[in-house]
Amino acid sequence: MTMEIGVPEGHGGKKMAADGQSALARFGHGFVAGGWTMYPVLLLLIIVGAFIAPRFLSFINIINILEQVSVLGLTTIGLTFVLLIGRLDLSLEGVVGFAPMLAAVMLVPAAAGGFGVELPQWMGLIVALGCAGLIGLFNGFLVVKVGLNPFISTLGLLVLLRGGILIISNGRSIYSPGESLTWLGSAQIAGIPMAVFVFLIVATVVGLVLKYHRYGRALYAIGGNEDAARAAGINVDRMIWSAFFFAGLLAGLAGILLTGRLDSAVTTQGQGIIFSAFAAAVIGGVSLGGGRGTIVGVVSGVLLIGVINNLLTLAQVPSFYVQASTGAVIIIAAILTTVASRRSGGVKTRT
Amino acid sequence: MEQIRPIVEMRGISKTFGSTRALRDVDFTLEEGEIHALLGRNGAGKSTLVSAMSGYTPADTGTIRIASTEFNVDGSSYAARIRGDIAHVQQTPQMFDLLSVAENLFLENDLVRNRWGMVSYTRMIEKTEKLMRDWNMDIAPSDLAGELGAGQRQLLEIMKALSRGVPVIILDEPTAALSNAEKRVLFDQVKLLKTAGVSFVYISHHLDEIFEIADTVTILRDGQVVKSRASVEGLDTETLANLMMGEKTTRSAREDHTFGDAAPLLSARQVQLKPDRPKIDIDVRPGEIIALAGPVGSGKEDLAMVLAGQQAPASGQVSGPNGALPTIGLVPTDRHASGYVGILGVRENVALGGLEVLSGNFGFISKAKEDSLVNRLTRQTDVIASSLDQAVSQLSGGNQQKVVFARALCRDPQIIVALSPTRGVDVGAKEQLYALLRDLASKGLGVIVVSDEEDEISQLANRVVIVFEDRIVDEMVGDYRMEDLILHMEGAT
Ligand SMILES: Nc1ncnc2c1ncn2[C@@H]1O[C@H](COP(=O)(O)OP(=O)(O)OP(=O)(O)O)[C@@H](O)[C@H]1O
Ligand SMILES: [Mg+2]
Repeated sequence: MTMEIGVPEGHGGKKMAADGQSALARFGHGFVAGGWTMYPVLLLLIIVGAFIAPRFLSFINIINILEQVSVLGLTTIGLTFVLLIGRLDLSLEGVVGFAPMLAAVMLVPAAAGGFGVELPQWMGLIVALGCAGLIGLFNGFLVVKVGLNPFISTLGLLVLLRGGILIISNGRSIYSPGESLTWLGSAQIAGIPMAVFVFLIVATVVGLVLKYHRYGRALYAIGGNEDAARAAGINVDRMIWSAFFFAGLLAGLAGILLTGRLDSAVTTQGQGIIFSAFAAAVIGGVSLGGGRGTIVGVVSGVLLIGVINNLLTLAQVPSFYVQASTGAVIIIAAILTTVASRRSGGVKTRT
Repeated sequence: MEQIRPIVEMRGISKTFGSTRALRDVDFTLEEGEIHALLGRNGAGKSTLVSAMSGYTPADTGTIRIASTEFNVDGSSYAARIRGDIAHVQQTPQMFDLLSVAENLFLENDLVRNRWGMVSYTRMIEKTEKLMRDWNMDIAPSDLAGELGAGQRQLLEIMKALSRGVPVIILDEPTAALSNAEKRVLFDQVKLLKTAGVSFVYISHHLDEIFEIADTVTILRDGQVVKSRASVEGLDTETLANLMMGEKTTRSAREDHTFGDAAPLLSARQVQLKPDRPKIDIDVRPGEIIALAGPVGSGKEDLAMVLAGQQAPASGQVSGPNGALPTIGLVPTDRHASGYVGILGVRENVALGGLEVLSGNFGFISKAKEDSLVNRLTRQTDVIASSLDQAVSQLSGGNQQKVVFARALCRDPQIIVALSPTRGVDVGAKEQLYALLRDLASKGLGVIVVSDEEDEISQLANRVVIVFEDRIVDEMVGDYRMEDLILHMEGAT
């Protein structure tokens, strides 16, 4: 029968939430809701990988994977902000390329392909992040104030930014854009790339904020039912602005890591990353409809994609097979996530 | 010669959701041409039982016969087999917001197909117009369903079910979102169909309606039948309430806690709800419970939303004593549209109202504070759920409403604006919520209630403000009598 969590004084004995659910069922539910679904799969993949390619589990290779996924990871975490409120942002891919490129052309001398403004070195990081944040705010403006559908507005912006990269760079990549822009993506601490730390720190902070901060609570509520969030006293418009802002900012940071790793702002930088970011988010259990998803899950999605790519490369699968197999894996992983969440939650009919 | 047998027979119906045994070995019969009221407190299993009947949510075990279709239930779907015999108006609205009224009414309906199986729009519009005339409603067939008010949407769903021409119709709290006038239209139509031999299962928490429309009563408590097929004659509201709640419930009377000459908590000055409407001035004082009453479309809801700071007036301003708005807790009219977040748990939903109150350093939520506050509020509002983590979409309708109520209190408000606060709430919990509001008023809160129910208003309000055509036309303060209240409320139309 039904347990009562709030029993009125007059309604006889007090029964607290002594949940009759089995411990196993509760564990299963928490496991899926917490975003841990894909970790067993990841573990399996790692075991298989160790057998296929002995080099797979070497320290160098693991660091290599982590460095590779840090860019995708930051972009996906950024995307998660907007997905949680039931929106999307395709322009993040453009930001990954545009923000560092803008900073680069503002820094380097005209002879090296710059604008000739030659801003002081230390401004690099600020220009790139500032530009990324502004693009995010502009997305927020289009969605909140103008009322555009984010699919259309961010798609337009994506194409615009891709073109913009070519315009400001004159179609040429810019090499060695300066220490402040490249340091995060190239420095190492005790043999571990700075990029890995950046990714882990951002993931931890955002993970904590989503789970324990009122900002996170408000994001989930808006994704679940925007009108209810509004009626509960949440400033929904400001939340939407901020989600797009953080998304842009993190994509910009991802772009900076990439520029640092290559020691150059490349015109094709970030191309195609938005597809992987969506895949990673969905594999990690983020709902495209909003209101569901965790950073624990997002990280699993990102790692899964990274590990698969790495394994395929190590196993010397021809590169054009890599892309197709990644696609296949995305579908399989998405099926797994869906089945798991349907099993653990929702309506269950007992036999 | 064939003996007259019931049109619906259900035997040994059981249904379990996770750890909740929503129905335990329930028998239910419905005679032909009868209006059978199904009663019980929030979470008793009423909606679950009728969902088992229509196949919307199949039961786990039992046998069911509807008209000439008989089958054993094993948890698998059977809705399609009985679709031609039964219509089910659910407690949660099932409209397609982006389809027109006509499309919503005649979705999957053979009456509007031409001989090649294509939908005939002209026929659909014609039929819709005729229905609107019969029901005395002023809605264009091409209006989008999403733009209608809660009452009109509810009526549309009922119209859809009633026009399908089936012998059994389930109405799960059909009047919860209806005004008195709309209720009259519904009852006329139901009685009309009853004389034509149609049978109804009727669920409601308005016990006076039962005596007006029902023939027979069955009462559920904790998933079991406690009273089977009693005739309404020889019963009264008090007996019904006691049977439902399993204990004595008494009707409370209003109390006056108005702090006589205290400064108002909230003042509206020169407020226009719509351009070129008269200007409204109103003050909310500490300890006062104000009821806004008036017919549908009178603007009482708009006025409440303006006072709550959720809607901008066409002109004028609303402010607290020192210019800034006080903290306001809101219970919105339509809990499904803007009340709860279905995929989130009870805890998150309640806490949502008070994120500022619950968060400490750097805006992180304090778990201890959250636990104690949410526990207290859900107890005060009588929320019944399997745990605080249960998704609110899985709660019974009345319990969802209580969660919304608890959420409004969570921010520790100075003013509560509650639109139809007890919609779908059972008689016992209703009294509990009334007591809670009175208690808050006695502590100096201002309370604004929007209601269509005379009983609710007279049990709560120290001041009744009648709104009509976007202005305040009448006001009653202090010790008014019930007869006067009814006169004033009807006088507005
Ligand atoms: N999908 C679901 N998942 C889990 N539990 C459910 C689900 N649907 C209903 N329940 C539980 O089953 C019990 C009966 O619910 P039901 O909706 O039938 O109550 P009700 O009598 O209609 O109440 P109300 O008057 O509030 O509408 C409740 O305890 C409810 O929480
Ligand atoms: Mg119900």
